[in-house]
Amino acid sequence: MDQNIKQRIETIISNIDQLPPLPEVASKVINMVSDPDVSFKLVAQEISKNQAMTANILKLCNSAFFSKGKEITSIDRAIVTLGLKEVKDIVLLVAAKPVLDKPVSGYDLAQGDLWKQGLAVATMSRDIAIAKKRKDCSDIVFTGGIIHNVGKVVIALFVQQAFRQILDLVQTGNIAFHVAEKEIMGYNHQEVGEKILVKWNFPPVLRSIVRFYQDPASAPPEHMFEVSIVHIANAICLMGGVGIGNDGLYHEIKDEAIKKTGLTQTELEEFYTRVPDILKQIRDLQ
Amino acid sequence: MSEIITVGVAQIRYSSSPAVLRTILGSCVGICLYDRVKKIGGMAHILLPQNQKNNPNLEKYADTAVPLLVKTLLKEGSKKENLSAKIAGGASMFKFGSNISLGQIGDRNIEQTRLELQKLGIPLLVEDVGGNLGKVIDFYLEDGRMKVKSGGQEKMYYKV
Repeated sequence: MDQNIKQRIETIISNIDQLPPLPEVASKVINMVSDPDVSFKLVAQEISKNQAMTANILKLCNSAFFSKGKEITSIDRAIVTLGLKEVKDIVLLVAAKPVLDKPVSGYDLAQGDLWKQGLAVATMSRDIAIAKKRKDCSDIVFTGGIIHNVGKVVIALFVQQAFRQILDLVQTGNIAFHVAEKEIMGYNHQEVGEKILVKWNFPPVLRSIVRFYQDPASAPPEHMFEVSIVHIANAICLMGGVGIGNDGLYHEIKDEAIKKTGLTQTELEEFYTRVPDILKQIRDLQ
Repeated sequence: MSEIITVGVAQIRYSSSPAVLRTILGSCVGICLYDRVKKIGGMAHILLPQNQKNNPNLEKYADTAVPLLVKTLLKEGSKKENLSAKIAGGASMFKFGSNISLGQIGDRNIEQTRLELQKLGIPLLVEDVGGNLGKVIDFYLEDGRMKVKSGGQEKMYYKV
C-alpha cells in the first residue's frame, strides 16, 4: 500500500471543506420528498428561493426527456404536472452537473464522460425498476445512478499516480479494479463517494447505492434491491462502452444482484440492446 | 489535424482520406474496413452478434452490419479485392455468474464478426480483441492504420 496516497486521501475525506459542495436546496428537497406527508407548497417554495437554479430546472422540465407535452413555466406547475419525485430528480440533475461534468483524467475520462455514464445508468436503472414493477423506487435508483460514481471525482488524482500499480495488481491478483484501488490507496472510490454523500446530507438508501454498487450483497438488506439495480445498470452501460475508462470491464456482474432483482437472461440482454436508445434519450440532459 | 468522425454505438460511418473514424468500445466490436486503392474506409460499431428479430437497425448487429458496411464501400466505388478489415473490442466483464449469458456477449460478438467477414471473403488482417479492458480506436483513412488505446497504452496497426 502507498501510505503517502492513503494519508492524502484521509486528509481530504476528513476535511469536509475539501469535498465537492452541492447547493443546499438539493439535499433539502431530497430529504423533504422522502417524507410521504410533505407539502407540495413547501417544496416549491424551497426550490424557488434559488433563482439561478430555477431557470435551469424549468428548462429540464420542458426537455423531451421529462416533458409531458404542456409547457411548464413555474415550479408549482412542474410539481403538479410531472410529480414531486420527478421534480426532485430534476433538481438533483441541475445541482450535481457541475460536480460530475468534469474531466476525470485518472480514470481516463474526458469531460462529459462521467456525467453521460451517470445519466445512462440512471435512466436504465429507472427502466429496470419499472420493468420489475417497482415504480415506487424508480426515482431513487435514478438519483443513485446519477451520482453512483461521485467518489471518482475526488480520488481520480491519486488513481492517476497509482494507475500502473492498481492495474498490475488487478491482473496479477485476479481481483476487481475497485478492490485493487483499496489495496493500493487504502480507499476506493465508493468509500470516498459515501463521505461526499454524508457531507451532502443525503438519505441512507442513496449512501448505500454509492457505497455498495459494486458489491450489492454487502449493502444493508433493506437497500439491496435498489443497490442491485444500479449495480446491473452500471455493468450493462460499461459493456456498451458508455463512460468506460482505463479501469475497463474489471468489474463484476454479481449473481446475487440478478437474483435480487429477478431479472431473467432475456431481460438482461434486452436492457443491453437498449443502450443506443438510452444514449439518444439522454442527449438533451447532457 | 484531420477531421475526427465519432462512430456511436450501433452506427456505421464512412469517409475518405485524411479523415479519422473514432469509437469507444466495451463488449462491442469495432470493424474497420479499408480500401487501400481509393483510400476510403468505413467503421461499424456493433453491439450484438445476431439480428434475430429482424430489427430495422441493421447497424446494431454483426450479422447485418458487416454486410451493410461492405455494401456501403462497394457503392462508393470500391473493388472487393482492395478491401481488408481490422477489428477491435469484444471485451468481457472481468467476473460474472456462470449462468449470466450476457457475460459472453463480447466473445459472441467477436466470433460472429469473424464469420461474417469470412462469408464475404474479406481478409481479416488484425484483431485486437477480448480481455477486460475498454478500447478507444482511431482509424486513419489516409493509410488505413488503426490505433488502439487501452488501459493507458497505445498500439498502432499498419497492415492494410
